[in-house]
This record gives sequence, C-alpha cells and structure tokens, in this order.
Amino acid sequence: MDRRDFLKNMALGSLALKLAPGLAGRTAEGGGGAPDLAYIQGDSPAALAREAIAVLGGMSRFVAKGDVVMIKPNIGWDRTPELAACTNPDIVRTLVELSFAAGAKKVVVMDNTTNQAQRCYARSGIQAAAKAAGADVPFVNPRRIKKMAVKGEWLKEWDVIQDFVEADKIINVPIVKHHSLCRATLGMKNWLGALGDPRNQLHQKLDQAEVDLAAFFKPALTVLDAYRILVRNGPQGGRPSDTKLLKTVVAGIDYVAIDAMGATFLEIPPEELPFLSLANQKGFGEIKLEKLRIEKRTV
Amino acid sequence: MKKERSKKYRALQLVRAGVQLFFFGLFVFLLFGTHFTGKDYIGNVEAFFHFDPLLAVATSIASRAVFIAFGWAALTIVVTFFLGRVVCGWVCPLGSVHQFFSWLFKKTKFLRPKKVARGGLSWKYLALAFVLVSAVFTLDLVGIFDPLSFLTRTTVTSVLPTFAQGFQMLIGGAYALHLAGVGDALTQFLETLTVNATFRQGFLIGLIFLGFILLNILRERFWCRYICPAGAFLGVASRWNLFKLRVDEHKCIKCNLCTLHCQTQADPYPEKEWKSSECIYCETCASVCPTAAITFPLRGTPEKLPAIDLSRRKILLASFLALFSVPLFRISQAVKRAHEKLIRPPGALPEPQFLETCIKCGECLKACPTNGLQPAMTEAGPEGLWTPVLVPKIGYCEYYCSLCSQVCPTGAIKELTVPEKTVVRIGTAWIDKNRCIPYFLGRPCIVCEEHCPTSPKAIKFVMVETKLADGTVATQKAPVIELKLCIGCGICENKCPVTDDPAIYVTSVGEQRSEKNQLLLPE
Repeated sequence: MDRRDFLKNMALGSLALKLAPGLAGRTAEGGGGAPDLAYIQGDSPAALAREAIAVLGGMSRFVAKGDVVMIKPNIGWDRTPELAACTNPDIVRTLVELSFAAGAKKVVVMDNTTNQAQRCYARSGIQAAAKAAGADVPFVNPRRIKKMAVKGEWLKEWDVIQDFVEADKIINVPIVKHHSLCRATLGMKNWLGALGDPRNQLHQKLDQAEVDLAAFFKPALTVLDAYRILVRNGPQGGRPSDTKLLKTVVAGIDYVAIDAMGATFLEIPPEELPFLSLANQKGFGEIKLEKLRIEKRTV
Repeated sequence: MKKERSKKYRALQLVRAGVQLFFFGLFVFLLFGTHFTGKDYIGNVEAFFHFDPLLAVATSIASRAVFIAFGWAALTIVVTFFLGRVVCGWVCPLGSVHQFFSWLFKKTKFLRPKKVARGGLSWKYLALAFVLVSAVFTLDLVGIFDPLSFLTRTTVTSVLPTFAQGFQMLIGGAYALHLAGVGDALTQFLETLTVNATFRQGFLIGLIFLGFILLNILRERFWCRYICPAGAFLGVASRWNLFKLRVDEHKCIKCNLCTLHCQTQADPYPEKEWKSSECIYCETCASVCPTAAITFPLRGTPEKLPAIDLSRRKILLASFLALFSVPLFRISQAVKRAHEKLIRPPGALPEPQFLETCIKCGECLKACPTNGLQPAMTEAGPEGLWTPVLVPKIGYCEYYCSLCSQVCPTGAIKELTVPEKTVVRIGTAWIDKNRCIPYFLGRPCIVCEEHCPTSPKAIKFVMVETKLADGTVATQKAPVIELKLCIGCGICENKCPVTDDPAIYVTSVGEQRSEKNQLLLPE
C-alpha cells in the first residue's frame, strides 16, 4: 500500500464514519410507533429473529434498497452451536434473508476469529447458513485492515477491517456470554471482532475500548442472540452444561439498552457493568430498563 | 538401412510422461487436501506412503511393529518383481521431478551428455544397506533419504510456503493495479487452501532440495541413479523384468546414443551389458535410437541380481558405518532428559518409539491448522531432526482437531478421534510473573484464561498486589494454572499480548506419553 492509497482509504473511512450515524438516524425516524426493544421468546431461532424485526417495524426501516449490509455475528470460536460460543446460525441466516428482502444489494457476514478462521466459520454453522441465504462470507483479508481514526475517549486509532466501514449498514448480532474480565460479552464487546491485532492488548482497558468501538461502528440495528446463552467458562464454554436455554431474542437500535437487557440474562444488574455505565454517561443509550418501551411477544 | 526412429516407442514415451504427470498431480492433489476442509475427519491423503516398500520395511524393522496400511507396499514389490523398476520411471513423484529438471537442463544445454557415465551406481545400494542396518539397531533414518518423505517434507516446508509468498506478491500486484476484486478473490482462494507458510527450517530444507535438483546438471536423474535407497530396494526386488531389452544387431549402427541418454545408467548397449536392475523403463533408449533397433519384447526368463560393482567389503563397510552411527546419533541431551521444548503432537508415541517410527515426512506439519507443528531442530537430538514439534509461539494445538494423528503414515502419531484428542495432555503451561501484565504492571488482562479451551478452564484467577514503579500498590486479578486441567495446547502462549516472549509458555513436562517427564504425584 502506498501513501496515496492510505490517504484515500483514510478519506473513505472518515467519510463512511461521517455518513453512517446520519443515515442510521434518518432511517430510525421512520419507525413511528415501534418500541425501543423487541423481546421475543419461542422455540425457533429463525422465527424469533423474524418476529423481532417485524416488531421493530420491518427490515426496510434499517436497510434501504441497494445497500451493502454487513452482518456481524460472533464467529470467534471453533465451537458448534450447542456450545453457545458463537451466534446461532439460524438467526444469522434469517437476518440475511430479511436484508435481501428489504432490497439489500449485497450482504456480507464476517468476523475476525480467534481460532483458525476456517474451523470457526465451518463448525459454527454460520458460513453454510449465511451462504445458503445468499450472503458473502469472506475470511478477513489482511490487506483490507487499515489503521483508522476511532476517535474514542481512550482509543484514538486502531487497525480496523475495512469491510465494516465500507458497508452502508451494519447489523450487530452478538450472543450472550459470560466473560471473566467484563463479566458479560454482549453487543459492544462484539466489535473486537472487527479489529486487527494486537487487539488482545485492549483488555488492559477493555470497558473503555468497548464503549469507544461501539460509538465508532454504530450499528443500524442490534439483534441479541439469547437463544442459548453461555453462563460459565466464557467466552468459549466447552460443555453443554455451561449453557442455558433461554429461547429469547432481543432487538433494537439502542445498543446500550440491548446490552443492559443482555446483562440481566446473566443475572447481572446493568449498572454494575462499567462499560454500560460509561456508555450511558456518554449519552450513547439507556441502561435503566424500566425507562424503555419493550414489546414482549411469544412465537 | 532405413534411418527412422520408432514411432511406437516415441508414443510410449509420451504415454509414460502422461502417467508421470498423473501421479505427480495425484501426489500434489492429496497434499493440498491435507488440511481442514470443513470436516473433522479426512480420508487417506497419506496413501502414497503406504505403497513405498522401503518405508514399510525400514520402519517395521526399526519400530519392531508392522503398521497394517503398509501392506500396500507388497503390491509395489510384486509389480517390481515381474516388471522391474517401472515404479521409479512411471510413478515416483520425486523421480518425475528429477526427470523434469534433467529434461529442462538438457533443453537449456546445461546438461550435454558427451561421454557415457561409468561407476557410482553402488552408492545407492550402500545407502540402502546403511538405512536397513541402522534400522536393525532401532535408528530410523529412512525418512531422511526416502524419496516420498524427502519430497513431501520439502514441498510442505519449503515449496508451498514459497508458492504462498509468491501468491501474496501476485495479490499485492492485483491491488497495485487497482484490481481490488481480483485481489480479494485471490486472497479468499489462498485462505481456503490453508497453506502453512511459516517454517523455521524451510529455507534450509529448500536449499538441500535445490542442491539435488542442480545435481541433475551433472547427470540425468542424479538422485535416482546414485542416491535413492528406495530405488536400490526396488533394484534388488526386480527379478523377472518380463519386458526385456533387445537390440537388433542388424539395425544397430553402434551410435551409442541409447547408452548416452539412458536416464539411469542402465547401459542398453551392448545388450548383454544391460543392467535390468537399473532400468526404469522410461523408454528413452528405444525412442532415441535412430534406426529403431531397440525393443522391449516379452520374455519369461529370470534376470540376474544387480549387475554392479557391489563388493561384499563395501556392503560390510556401509553396515559398519550404520552400526557406528547408532551411538553417534544418540550423543544428545535428549537421551538423558526430556527437552522442555519438545512438545510432541497429541497421540505421539512415547519418545523412543516415536523416533523409531516417525519418517519426518511432514504430513502432520501440512495438516496442522495453525502452522504450530514445526520440523524439530535440536530438541529431539540428531535422530529427531525434522520430526514434528509444537512451537506455540508460531501456532497452538487446535482443541477440536486431530488431523495430524489422522495423516501420519506410520502411526508414529497414533490416530485419534476428536473426543479422544481433546483429553490428551502434551505439556504444561507456566506463567512468567515477571512479564505477566497483571503481575508486573498491575493492569487487567485475562487473555490466556479467555482462550483456554478446556471446561472447566485450566487457568484460574487470584487477586495479587503489585508494587508499581511509582510506589503505589495495584490490586489485580491475575492468572494461575490448575496443572491437573492443563493439556498443554499452547493457545495461551500463542495469544499472550506480551508479543515478543510471551508471559505464559508451555513446556513438555506432564506430557502423558512419558512416564518420566512428570511433575504431579498421584493424590
């Protein structure tokens, strides 16, 4: 990469940054009477995701015709779905289908994995599920990782995978898991998967990093997978007994509120989690669940 | 006399080249298939090795155990017994590589055979004697010289990494030309191939290979002619050679082209000097003969033993050298105590048996999804050169993967199912508190614990107080290791944010294949 490329990419990146929140804001206005959070329970992960989007006013509220949509599940680990270390593949597939139905030009599903990428993509079931619905499921291309201005409170710049910045809309699809440092890994922590290395060093100030990254990526929509959650030995688990079947999906625009709801699934009061308090103080979202309009449904 | 080359044998020569290309392609195809392809179990990608009688015999002798899959080697012996060394000329992928370069050097005039080559043929038989006699004394050196081992090891650690690097340059070129789409597509393709591109000795092993390639400038198929002990083995095994060379004295003009261009010094002219045990049936002699005087008609008489200057004294000397090599190769620390960095792949036999069985072919190095398996340098002593060792700084042992054990052609790594593999302990992790971030810097970091794949995790936390440089005291959650639970996979070392020399590292102690290299007492 030469200097000119770099500058061009920087310009593109910052342009995307400038536009992304604006776009998200504009589409959000179209929601009308939609609730803050959709809280859906039921037996089928696909039906849960479908209903959650319907409750929020349909995918066309978030995805415009001709958009390139980036769907960011957690594909971090070489683990099968019953171990609840990665996002449920059926939920991912449903979101791909809904995005295409809303007129998306292209849907990309990717994550910077922790174990070998091929193993994670294959054994999580996400690669096959997303491809079946027509999405691109590329591996992280090292040449498409660029240093970008994150402009966070603490994290000023970091290596970011370009695909995430270039997409018109980002949909974050985290899974609820136990984590021994931030206690819960939810939507905001999921952004570490959109970074280049040495992202492990961010653990020295993980809570602040999560807040900075969430504000940087600013998803148009967050769909929290709580179908089967990981309650101990996180973030990988390893035994089915480390998981708990909740059969729930929570979705909405306020990513802080969604993470607050996710914390309660792990029986953690949201205000106890530093990354939630920090995000709330910055005005990124609500952590008092009683202040939110939550629509609960069972399918 | 009508001067015309035999059309039939020129066609046969082309057929032979086609067959060679097919087997070389098959070899490459199987090797490229030796990695995670989306399934937990892969097929017999190591099948080539099982048809190699030298590996079968030497490994069985050295390890005092017969690996059933090596039964296929009997087929090669039977074919050779009746047809001669057709396997060398038509099948062996290393032979094809050498023949290709010989042909290339001839075409570029680097190699211009002017005089008929004489002598030197005994070397490979001495190499064979050396390998077999040392095997009798449990020293398994066959993998160093065996053509399939040699080619696979070189391809895996040197050729493919070079290919991958070259491919990266191609990708870089695509992006430089603003063909981002092409660059993206090529990147995804390369990623799907999962070519391990980092090998500590890749350069050295590649250099050795290059040396043998260049020797083809001196003599056609230098390796096959003078060095290959597998070729020597087949030479001894060839007995009937049903298709026998015949030189038609009426047609022959004694130009000597056949002997000059013989790929293996089998001396087709004069007919009575023809060394059937050296002939690989490449059909070059019959094809270059300007008067079509050479044919290979079917004749049922047995052939004589290798007609070369192989004196009993030379054989004895080689055998003595082999005997002497056994202790020489064992002057090493490895005999006294286990090397801390000798972390063997899961399923590896106990060290002495492992060394007797491993043929250093590099199949496991190719299969390893993280590139963590590396050719050993000094960790296992001289006889363990190029045997597989896990280097967690480069790559860790993937928890749900047992590919290395599946592709091992000799059973040096016992084949394991994935559930069996996940409980195999190959070493133990240790924390360097002087470098560990919570211990030394008083800052949070749980990266090793987060990556620990066992459930429950082998890495737990304790609260520690750290006196910082400014005199204040920081209290932080810091990792400790539950030795009983650690399997030594090394992902903690690999992912530790202390990038240069990780603050957590794995050593071989506790490896379950060893009785002596242990630490924990029974409770």
